[in-house]
Amino acid sequence: MSYVAHVLIYFEIYFVVALSLNLVVGYCGMLTLAHASYYAVGGYTYALLSAVLGWTFVPALVAAVLVGSVLSLALSLPSWRLKGDFFVLGSLAVQAVLFGVFSNWSDGRAALGSWRNLTNGPNGISNIPKPELFGRTLTEPVQFIWLASAVAVLVALIVWRLTSSPWARVLVAMRDDELAARSVGKNTRLAKVQVLAISIALVAIAGATYAAYVGYIDPSAASLDESILMLSMVLVGGAGNFRGPAVGAFTLVLIPELLRFLRLPNAQVGSLRLAIYGLLLVIIVHFRPQGLCGRYRLK
Amino acid sequence: MDDLIRRAMQVFLNGLISGLAIALMALAFQLVYLPTRVFFVGIAGLYTVAPYAYLAIHTSCGNVILSSIGSLLIVSLLAVLFEWINHGPLFQKGASDGAHLISSLGMYIVVVEGVAIIWGNSSQTLRTGVDFTVQALGVVLTKSQLLIASVAVVALAAFVGMLQMTNLGLRLRALSANPTQFALYGYNVKRYRLFAFGLAGLLTAATSLVAAFDVDFNPHLGLPAMLLAVVAVISGGRSSFVGPVLGGLLIGVLRAEVVWYVSSRWQDAVTFAVLALFVVFRPQGLLGGRSGLELRAI
Repeated sequence: MSYVAHVLIYFEIYFVVALSLNLVVGYCGMLTLAHASYYAVGGYTYALLSAVLGWTFVPALVAAVLVGSVLSLALSLPSWRLKGDFFVLGSLAVQAVLFGVFSNWSDGRAALGSWRNLTNGPNGISNIPKPELFGRTLTEPVQFIWLASAVAVLVALIVWRLTSSPWARVLVAMRDDELAARSVGKNTRLAKVQVLAISIALVAIAGATYAAYVGYIDPSAASLDESILMLSMVLVGGAGNFRGPAVGAFTLVLIPELLRFLRLPNAQVGSLRLAIYGLLLVIIVHFRPQGLCGRYRLK
Repeated sequence: MDDLIRRAMQVFLNGLISGLAIALMALAFQLVYLPTRVFFVGIAGLYTVAPYAYLAIHTSCGNVILSSIGSLLIVSLLAVLFEWINHGPLFQKGASDGAHLISSLGMYIVVVEGVAIIWGNSSQTLRTGVDFTVQALGVVLTKSQLLIASVAVVALAAFVGMLQMTNLGLRLRALSANPTQFALYGYNVKRYRLFAFGLAGLLTAATSLVAAFDVDFNPHLGLPAMLLAVVAVISGGRSSFVGPVLGGLLIGVLRAEVVWYVSSRWQDAVTFAVLALFVVFRPQGLLGGRSGLELRAI
């Protein structure tokens, strides 16, 4: 039961990640490789506030959302001028800089959370307190699943409301022809700032939930591999609608669990899992550009 | 004062030599990008394969030269295979830049994880024994540094010679300048694309092998090497074959200075901050013209 709950929690966290990334990739057609670094921004903000300052789950989560939204400007302002490969490169630069900050903003002699040791470097932050809700500490996966489910449902509702609004149609118009959207008076620059702030705020929620569940976060959460995994979820499941990210997250969370039955050494299972993700990306691009059940067809 | 100048010279030379390796890799990236407009992430997979192919051949024959040639050929063929089974068919379908990038990313992951499954993730080395050093004017260079510098200079000179003095080079430049017109003149675009990929594979394998003789390697070093090459291409200029070389040298020197004056831990962050600055403020790079890039950036 505990194992099933653990897999479900991971699915729910990655479902939130895929939904948030879908807003940028599926609705705006912008490929970003910086999503994992913002996921880690959420995780680190939550970890610092709860482990160092003793904040409870909800205020720390709100703070993670705010920090993520502000830092989204690092990606949204360059997006005013950058398209296609250039935007991917800009996002790669943001990813590398944030990863560098998480890995290096540390000093073994200073206390964690101080100005000189904000992230604890490659060692990461451990002993993050388990969240407490209604007077109960959620220590077991079967308890935490209620919180993860509530977060996933809340994010899904927000995304559903947003994507069925006229605002989403502006995003789609901008994706299909930015010049045409601007020529009919749509402020595409503002739309980009808004969509990236919302998307990054949502992925910060996922990062904070992950940190709260695992009780530990390190710079590997912000790695490029993690960004590629997130992008794979959206592209494999399909972008531009609601079902795609859910199917993508489910598929890519399920694969490593199925590989356990092969009884291979852990290192080989990890490599095999990534190789399958890579192969899926190639197959999807060649044979099903809209993903398993997406709406936006990668040209 | 003399000591200070000598140290500055040493740091500069170290940077210049690692910059030559970056320049070679950047040139390989540009060799694919300019004629085909493919953002070739798969080049990182080729970089990974080279030392392992060398190791596999060397284990059976024990000859350094044969193993090096074998590795160069294998990687070159793998690059051609990438074009043949992946980018070529996408090009025929008129796929977008994004589709090429994503499929290339997928190919890279498959290759790297394939290497990790076969040879494992632990670090290995091609180096045997301790490097000898050469000292001149107070500056010390190791055997590995000399190897990197000589291979890079020879490869860069050979490439420039091929590009400027042969018909093949002329056609490659023509394909880069205008692929449609090149096809209208009756040249077989597919064949020249395959050639560009093969040559890029050759240069990538050469860079990877000399690096593997200098430091340990593992399956995951390809992506950082490719990213440095991309930074070199962007900072030098994406519209020529000279820009990436200049960019590579600049990035190499900058990284060496960061190690000396700040810390090696901040090398990557500073490098990518430079990328961000170029992408935002001078997307055409140092040697690039404005028109082509501004068309791509609204």
